[in-house]
Amino acid sequence: MSQPQFPTSLLQKKRQQLLARFLKGGEPHFLERHAEVLDDYFRESFARSSVGPRMQVEKNPYAIIALGGYGRKEQCLHSDVDVLLLFKKKIPDEAKDLVQEIFYPLWDIGFDVSYATRSTKECLALACEDFEVLTSLIDCRFLCGFSPLYSDLMERLRGKVLHRHGRAYVAWLAERNRERHTRYGDSTYLLEPNLKEGLGGLRDYHAMLWMGRAAYRIAEPRDLEFFGHLSHNEFESLWEALSFVKMVRNWLHHLSGRKCDQLYFEYQVRLAKNLGYRQENGQQAVEGFLGVLHGQMEFLKRQHLMFLKRVVNAKKPGRKKAPGRTVAPGIETVHDALNFESPEAILQNPHLLIKIFEKSAALGQPLTAGSSRLVREFLYLVDKEFQSSRRVIKSFQRILAAPPHTFNVLNEMLNTGMMVALIPEMKEIVNRIQYDEYHVYPVDKHSLRTVQILKELRDAGPDSPDAFYGKLFAELSNPELLLWAGLFHDVGKGADGKDHARRGADIVKSVFERMGFSPQDIEVISFLVREHLLLIKTATRRDINDEKIVVQCAGKVRDVEHLKMLCLLTVADSRATGPKAWNDWIATLVKEIFFKVYQTLNKEELATPAAVDIVEKKKQQVAQSVISTPRKELETLFDHMSPRYLLYTPWKDILRHIELHQRLGQEPFLLETRANSGTDYRTATICATDFPGLFSKIAGVFTLNNLDILSAQIYTWRNHIALDIFEVKAPPDTLLEDEVWERVKKDLRAALRGELDLSAALDQKVQAYQSVQRKIPRRPDKIIVDNGTSNFFTIIEIYTHDFPGLLYKITDTLFRCKLDIWIAKIATKVDQGVDVFYVRDFDGQKVDIPEEVAAIKEAIKHILANGANNKAESSRLKAESDTG
Amino acid sequence: MKKIEAIIKPFKLDDVKEGLTELGVRGMTVSEVKGFGRQRGHTEIYRGAEYTVDFVPKVKLEVVVDSEFVPEVVRVIEQKAKTGAIGDGKIFVTALEEVVRIRTGERGKEAI
Repeated sequence: MSQPQFPTSLLQKKRQQLLARFLKGGEPHFLERHAEVLDDYFRESFARSSVGPRMQVEKNPYAIIALGGYGRKEQCLHSDVDVLLLFKKKIPDEAKDLVQEIFYPLWDIGFDVSYATRSTKECLALACEDFEVLTSLIDCRFLCGFSPLYSDLMERLRGKVLHRHGRAYVAWLAERNRERHTRYGDSTYLLEPNLKEGLGGLRDYHAMLWMGRAAYRIAEPRDLEFFGHLSHNEFESLWEALSFVKMVRNWLHHLSGRKCDQLYFEYQVRLAKNLGYRQENGQQAVEGFLGVLHGQMEFLKRQHLMFLKRVVNAKKPGRKKAPGRTVAPGIETVHDALNFESPEAILQNPHLLIKIFEKSAALGQPLTAGSSRLVREFLYLVDKEFQSSRRVIKSFQRILAAPPHTFNVLNEMLNTGMMVALIPEMKEIVNRIQYDEYHVYPVDKHSLRTVQILKELRDAGPDSPDAFYGKLFAELSNPELLLWAGLFHDVGKGADGKDHARRGADIVKSVFERMGFSPQDIEVISFLVREHLLLIKTATRRDINDEKIVVQCAGKVRDVEHLKMLCLLTVADSRATGPKAWNDWIATLVKEIFFKVYQTLNKEELATPAAVDIVEKKKQQVAQSVISTPRKELETLFDHMSPRYLLYTPWKDILRHIELHQRLGQEPFLLETRANSGTDYRTATICATDFPGLFSKIAGVFTLNNLDILSAQIYTWRNHIALDIFEVKAPPDTLLEDEVWERVKKDLRAALRGELDLSAALDQKVQAYQSVQRKIPRRPDKIIVDNGTSNFFTIIEIYTHDFPGLLYKITDTLFRCKLDIWIAKIATKVDQGVDVFYVRDFDGQKVDIPEEVAAIKEAIKHILANGANNKAESSRLKAESDTG
Repeated sequence: MKKIEAIIKPFKLDDVKEGLTELGVRGMTVSEVKGFGRQRGHTEIYRGAEYTVDFVPKVKLEVVVDSEFVPEVVRVIEQKAKTGAIGDGKIFVTALEEVVRIRTGERGKEAI
C-alpha cells in the first residue's frame, strides 16, 4: 500500500510521469491518459469530499461531468479543463463549498479550470438558446456522482434539442467555420499554422463530429465510418492525421509552457529535432517536419470540406433527389457540382479522369466529394500512355488556361493526386517547405498560386493597377507556354540545395518531350524556368543603370517575347511567394529593368545572339595572346570595357589597347601611331586617363598641326581610361613625319596642362585657312538630339559641312554645355561631316529636359554657322529633334 | 550620440551592411524608400503608353552610434556605397538627445 497522498500531489506526480514518457516518445495516447489522470483526481476528491455527503444525493442528485475537449479526452498539457456540476433540481447553497473543495486546488497547481453549476433544465434551455453551450455539452462525459442524471441529460439533448434545432445548428456550425477560417487562415498554406483553429486544424475534425452528431446521430467518432460517411481507409488516415496534429500540439504546449496553438517559428526547429526529423535530401529537418504536418492538415481540411458539403446539401429538403444533368458523356452535374455518372464509365473511358477537371474549370463547378474520391481510387489508370496522350494534354492545357475561379481546379487536381499521377516529377515538391519568413507557401501551393496570379494578370483590364501586365500578356503569341512555365518554375526545388532553376529546366525538358511538345516550345518553357530569377536578381542586386549589366541580361533573354514572359513570370512568382517578396518598391525596380532590357533588345545590336558570340570569341582570342597580364586582371579589364567597345573593336586592337594601358602608368597620355599599308592614312591611338574635354583638346591639337581628321572613335573604359582613335591623313611631308608627331605630343601636353590656349591658336589658323576656301554650295545642317535609342546615353548627331577645326569646335561646345562624351563616331564623306556623339551630363545622366536639349542645339547651331563663316547661312540651318 | 542616416543604392546594401558589421555596429534599421535628388525620375514609353517613374527606389539605413565612432561609420558607408555614378546617395548625421531600450529601461549609450 502506498502512502495516502493529497489528490493534487498524486495528480501532479502522475502527470509528470506521463509527460516524461511522452517526451521519450513512449506515450502515444498522452491526451487520453492525461484526461484519465484528471478523471482520477475528480473521483478521488469527490470520494474524499466533506461537503458531498452533506448534499443529500437522494433528494437532489448531482453528477460531475467533463465537457468540451476534456469530455472528448483530448486533454493537451495546458488545455482548459471544462467541467459541469449537474443537479437534478435547484442548485443548493452547498454547491459553492463543493466547488471550493474540488476545483480550487486545481487552480492552485496552475490548471485552467472552468466550471458551471446547472440543473438539467437550465442546461437544456441554455443549449437551445446558445449553440456554444450545446457544442460543449454534446461532447460531455460522465465522471462521477449520480450517473442516471447524465444519461437523462444526454437523451434529452439528443432527442429534444438536436432533433428540433439540428438544421439551425448545422447552419450555425458552417457559418462559424467560415468565420474561423477567415480569421485563422488556411493552415495548410501557412508557415506558422494554427493547429487548432486554422483550416486543417483540429477544429475541422470537431466540426465534422458535431455535424455528424446533429445530422446523422453519430455517437462515437468511428460511427463516421460505420455509418458510411467515410471509407475505412479515409477514417484510418483521418485518425492518423489527428494523432499527429494532437501530438504536435501537445509538444507545442510543452515547449511554450502554456496553452499555445499557433506553431510559431521559434518552436519549429526544436520540435522537428525532438520528433526525430533529420536533415536529408537537401532539406532541413524542420522543413521535413512541416511538410508532413501540412500534409496531415491538408487531409483534415479536405475531409472536413467534403463532409461539410455533404451535410449542408443533404439538409436542403426537396433537393436530395435532383436529377443530374449530363455535361459531357459520363459526367453529370448535380447541385452545381460535377459527378461521374458511374464508376464503370471511368473504367471504360479513363479519359474521364481528366475530363471532369476540364469541365470543372470550364463550368466553374467543383467536383463532388464522391467524384474526388473516385478520381483518387482510379489513379492507377493513369499510366505512361495516359500521361503522354495528346487528348489528356489538351485537356490539361485547357484547365491551365481557364479563368481563375474562387476554388482552384489545379489545387483539386493536386489534392486528388491527379497532378502527380500525370507528372510524376511534381511529387518531390508536394508539401515541400522552405523554412524562412520569405516563402509563405509550400512549393506546390506556391506553384499553383503563380499560375493563378498569371491568369489574374492576363485578365487585368485597362483600369486595373495591373493594366501594364495585362497589356504584356495580350501581346504574347504563345501565352500557354508561360502558364506551363508558371506551373513548373520551381519543380527543381524537389532535390538538393542550390540552383533549382537550372535543375528545373532539365526536368522540364524531359517532361515536355514526353508530352510531345515541339522543340521550340520546350526551349521556351525551359528557358523561362531556367531564368525565372534573372530579372528579380538583376533588379535588386545589380546596378541597373550600368549599361553592361543590362546588355548581359539582354544577352541571356535574347528576344522581346521571352522578356515579356519572363517579366510576367517574375511578377507572378514574387507575388505568390509572400508579402515580403513583392511590394511597390520592388515592382518599380523590376519594371525599370524590363524597360531597359526591352530597349536594348529592340533598338540596339549589342545583345543579339550573334553579338554575344562574337564578344565571347574575341575575349578568348585576346586571352590566348596576352602573356604579360594575369588572367584575373584581364577579366577585370574586360569588365571595364563597354559592350559596344568589345563588339566593334577588332581583337588585335583590343590587345594593343591593353598593352597601351599597361604602359600608361603615371603618364598623362600615350600616343601611338601606325601607318596603314598602301594608304596615306595614319591611325593615331591615344590612351589617357579620362576627363571631360579630353577629346576636344586632342582634336584641336591635331587640327593645329595640320592633321586632317578623317574619322574618330572614342571609347571610355570604366576604370576611367579613355581610348581615342583617330584616322588622319598623313602629313604632306612624310620625311618629317616623326617631327610632326613629336610636336603633337608637345602641344597636347601643353594643352592638357592649360599652357596652350587652343581656341585662340585655332581661330588664328582657321582665319588664315578660310581666306583661301572656295565658296561651294552647302546642304543644310542637321542636328538631331536622340533620347529614345539608348537608355544610357543622349545621342547627338550632327550633319554639317566639314571645315577645319570643326571637330574641335563641336566637342569644345559639348564640353562647355557640361556634357561628357562617352562614345564618338566621326566620319567625313567628301565634305559632309557626320558626327555622332553619345553623351551624358557631368552627373552621368541623360540630357532629356527640353530646355537643356534646346540650349545644346542652339549652341551647336551657333558654332556651325560661325565656323562656316557664312552669316546668312544660319537661317537655313535645319534642326530636328527626334526623341521617339 | 549621433544618428546616421544614409540613402544608398539598393544593390549596395549588402556591402554596406557587411562593412558596418565588421566595424562592430550591432544594429541598424533598413527601409525601402523612394525619392529623388539630382537623379531624377523619368518617363518610359511602351507602345504609346507612358509609364512614369517619379521616384527612384533607394534603401535607407539608420544607425545610431556613439559620437566618437561617427567618422569611421561615415567613412565605411561612403566607401562601400560608392559607384561613382549619379544616385549614389547621401549620408546625414544628426545629434541625438536620448535613446531608451524599452525592455530594460536603459538609457543613453548603454541603450545603443
